[in-house]
Amino acid sequence: MKQLVRVFIAIAIVSALLLVAISKLNDTQGYSGDNTLTIYNWGDYIDPDLIKRFEKETGISVVYETFDSNEAMMTKVKQGGTSYDIAVPSEYMIEKMREEDLLIPIDHSKLPNLKNIDERFMDLPFDPDNKYSIPYFWGTVGIVYNPELLDGKEFKSWNDLWDPELKNEILLVDGAREVMGMGLNSLGYSLNDTNKTHLREAKEKLDTLTPNIKAIVGDEIKILLANEEAPIGLVWSGDAADIMSENEKLDYVVPEEGSNLWFDNMVIPKTAKNVDGAHQFINFILDAEVSALNTEWVSYSTPNKAALEFMPEEMVTDERFYPSAELTEKLEVYENLGQANLAFYNELFLEFKMHRK
Amino acid sequence: MERKTSKLTNVFLMIIFFILYAPIFFLIYYSFNSGGTMYHFESFTLDWYKELFSDMRLLIIVLNTLVVALLSALFATIIGVIGALAIHEVKKRSIRNGLLSLNNVLIVSPDVIIGASFLILFTISGYKLGFYSVLLSHIAFSVPIVVLMVLPKLSEMSSSLVDAARDLGASTWEVLIKVILPFISPGIMAGFFMALTYSLDDFAVTFFVTGNGFSTLSVEIYSLARRGVSLNINALSALLFLFTILLVVVYYFITQRQKLNAVGVKK
Repeated sequence: MKQLVRVFIAIAIVSALLLVAISKLNDTQGYSGDNTLTIYNWGDYIDPDLIKRFEKETGISVVYETFDSNEAMMTKVKQGGTSYDIAVPSEYMIEKMREEDLLIPIDHSKLPNLKNIDERFMDLPFDPDNKYSIPYFWGTVGIVYNPELLDGKEFKSWNDLWDPELKNEILLVDGAREVMGMGLNSLGYSLNDTNKTHLREAKEKLDTLTPNIKAIVGDEIKILLANEEAPIGLVWSGDAADIMSENEKLDYVVPEEGSNLWFDNMVIPKTAKNVDGAHQFINFILDAEVSALNTEWVSYSTPNKAALEFMPEEMVTDERFYPSAELTEKLEVYENLGQANLAFYNELFLEFKMHRK
Repeated sequence: MERKTSKLTNVFLMIIFFILYAPIFFLIYYSFNSGGTMYHFESFTLDWYKELFSDMRLLIIVLNTLVVALLSALFATIIGVIGALAIHEVKKRSIRNGLLSLNNVLIVSPDVIIGASFLILFTISGYKLGFYSVLLSHIAFSVPIVVLMVLPKLSEMSSSLVDAARDLGASTWEVLIKVILPFISPGIMAGFFMALTYSLDDFAVTFFVTGNGFSTLSVEIYSLARRGVSLNINALSALLFLFTILLVVVYYFITQRQKLNAVGVKK
């Protein structure tokens, strides 16, 4: 009994000491001031030095919280309980949040740096006139491949994946829109196609790809490709950048028929307490030089035209991440197809997954 | 009863331990890699450890995680022991089984549901998310574990032990302090450590109830999944692994001393 009491008292003392240490550390971080700005972002998705710089320039102390999926983020924002001033959802989630009235309109007059954003990435179907969101990073869907393991085989078209020589070599990311989109694009259809005949056709075509497919996987696709477990993968360009920084042998290509264009945009959720600070932060990120530093750190494609001048030459001219105008024309953002169409997409995708030869 | 372990058992044990520990050592090995990746070792470096200790935000998150684990395990143990004693006292079998089932439902129900319901509870009651919301929910999901750990010890105890104490003039309080608690203390300790580990690595519940700048390690690491985990997380894992080993060693020595005391002269 004595022993138990002793152990418990020791634990209580240790906890108290730790609590004191935490509050001391928090003070050094300046988290206790009134003028705070809470940012809700993907993990590791901003250069931490820029946050420090923003704090210095404005006197606002930033609380940086992270999430691991759009759905999880939306749940937290919807429930309230935390005052997130800025969140960074993907485009389809922005549409959902807009529909559920979770966003505050952004005052463009407070964002003098908005002119730095490339026109091509403004006023897109998921957020007309960018009333609620400002582009943060963008990217594509394409093919990561390992030239070394494939004896220098090149990929120009989606149809190159159907090569019988590639038996059991391809990893697909587990997303209905991505995989169905690949099927539609390979036939020359739009990846927002809702024509049932076209969709069936795309699914039939995907079925003929099954001998070449090694597996359909989730986030672990990055590790598998970097470790050379498979030579080909269908991935988002953001993942491709990560994979290639892990393993320099690999290469990435956006097929010529076109592909998906995705966005992560900054929004101000309804939970915001510091709307003014949120505008200041968005404007800060839109600054050409800041955006350049951030892009170098994150290594995704920036929508900031002015930032390109401050970035290393080899990054800007990299066609893999900044595709030519001609190809950009063919990139499409996923449109919200409505519940019924989405269900049909999912159904076909499931049928395809079950179709094993 | 000393039995010789055969060679085969030893080999089997070695293989199992190897399988369990290899990934951990793999992680630790690459935490010293200057190459920055997990598959190609370039040269030895301590940079990741330096980076880890200069990352204030991450250190605060680690300390948060430890404090929540320690405190939630402490409170959950106290509440769980009281609960186990209460369930044990119930004489009617049907009621007792009913209570036990209620306890077990909490253990088997998915974390995501528990987390989401806590989030709804906290937001409806207007409670701010942060340290206390995380602590409360961790206490809540640790209590059933402690109850489950302590109950078998209670049923193991022969009732004549309590009767004897009462015959010798012990009050109810004295019986509890001097007879029951010492007897079930291994169960209490086991329950405490289970609660501790549950709290340390819980993600699903914690994700929903963190907020306002308070975060824990599992939430932070999960959020890195999209961008890839950098090697300072390996460095952190290495340190936490060492810390755990240290705890286990300390726990071992404490129990050894108790054994010696038990055999030797009573103080």
